[in-house]
Amino acid sequence: MWIYEKKLQYPAKVGRANVKMAKYLITQYGGPDGELAASLRYLTQRYHMPTPQAKGILTDIGTEELAHLEIIATLVYKLMDRASIEEIKAADLGGYYADHDKGLYYVNGEGVPWTAAYIQSKGDPVADLHEDMAAEEKARATYEWLINLSDDPDLNDTLKFLREREIVHFQRFGETLQIVQEYLDSKKYY
Amino acid sequence: MDREQLALLKELMALEFTALEFNLYLDTHPTDQRALMEFNSVIPQLRAVKQKYQERYGPLTAEEPSSYPWQWINEPWPWEICYE
Amino acid sequence: MYTPADRMRLARAYVPFQIFSQRLSPMEGLMKGTIFPELYFPYRRHHK
Repeated sequence: MWIYEKKLQYPAKVGRANVKMAKYLITQYGGPDGELAASLRYLTQRYHMPTPQAKGILTDIGTEELAHLEIIATLVYKLMDRASIEEIKAADLGGYYADHDKGLYYVNGEGVPWTAAYIQSKGDPVADLHEDMAAEEKARATYEWLINLSDDPDLNDTLKFLREREIVHFQRFGETLQIVQEYLDSKKYY
Repeated sequence: MDREQLALLKELMALEFTALEFNLYLDTHPTDQRALMEFNSVIPQLRAVKQKYQERYGPLTAEEPSSYPWQWINEPWPWEICYE
Repeated sequence: MYTPADRMRLARAYVPFQIFSQRLSPMEGLMKGTIFPELYFPYRRHHK
């Protein structure tokens, strides 16, 4: 089970409202390499992991990704808050507005809704851990492109935090991969 | 949110983050005794700051006894706080 | 747990195991996104 704690993992700062940036950033909410995909990927893969370390790391990183999802939601909410219709039109978000007003919805930067096809669960722990490591690298790259798109130092501060977490997660999945491979080898040969 | 509350909230975030970092490290290094000692020394600090924060500013989870009326729903919620 | 170089085999990916030595203070760790200095690789923004 999960228990909600009424706080963010990191103080999510936004320097000024910026509808265009909200449109770009929302891909980390409901896009292919976003935080929803990350969390759901790890939390569904954990059931077929063979070692306690792997079950633990997928549970804990999958949970941390939910905290990141909440940070992204907070940033998008703050970037959109108080935006006028004119600003929404200028950022080409009229289509989003017609469907959702300023409500948060799981879409990528082009408005494509989230789909389970973004994630994989192969049933093979080695294949899944490789996917997880790739997912961390793709999310890291996405944060770098978002930092390139943004000229808001407060927003970039939070994006840099989230980017660094991808690096730490990659390291943990890499260690988990080695533990799992050695475990599978030991079953095969002894 | 006043500066004092925000400062304590950030202190809480920092300690919880430290605990999480050791948590993930220990998941893949369960026999690292030094890291385990570090983790064990962070937990009482985290608990102390959490308790202090909750006494002053209200519950962080819905598993705390509440004064009247029900305090859990009080604003601001995390996305409504100005962290700048 | 740690695979030495002479026991590594082909067609397999390896990430070296982190060996904990130092940690940052809680606040510095939070600001950097990790408490482990050896895992801190900040982004150097480049323009294409």
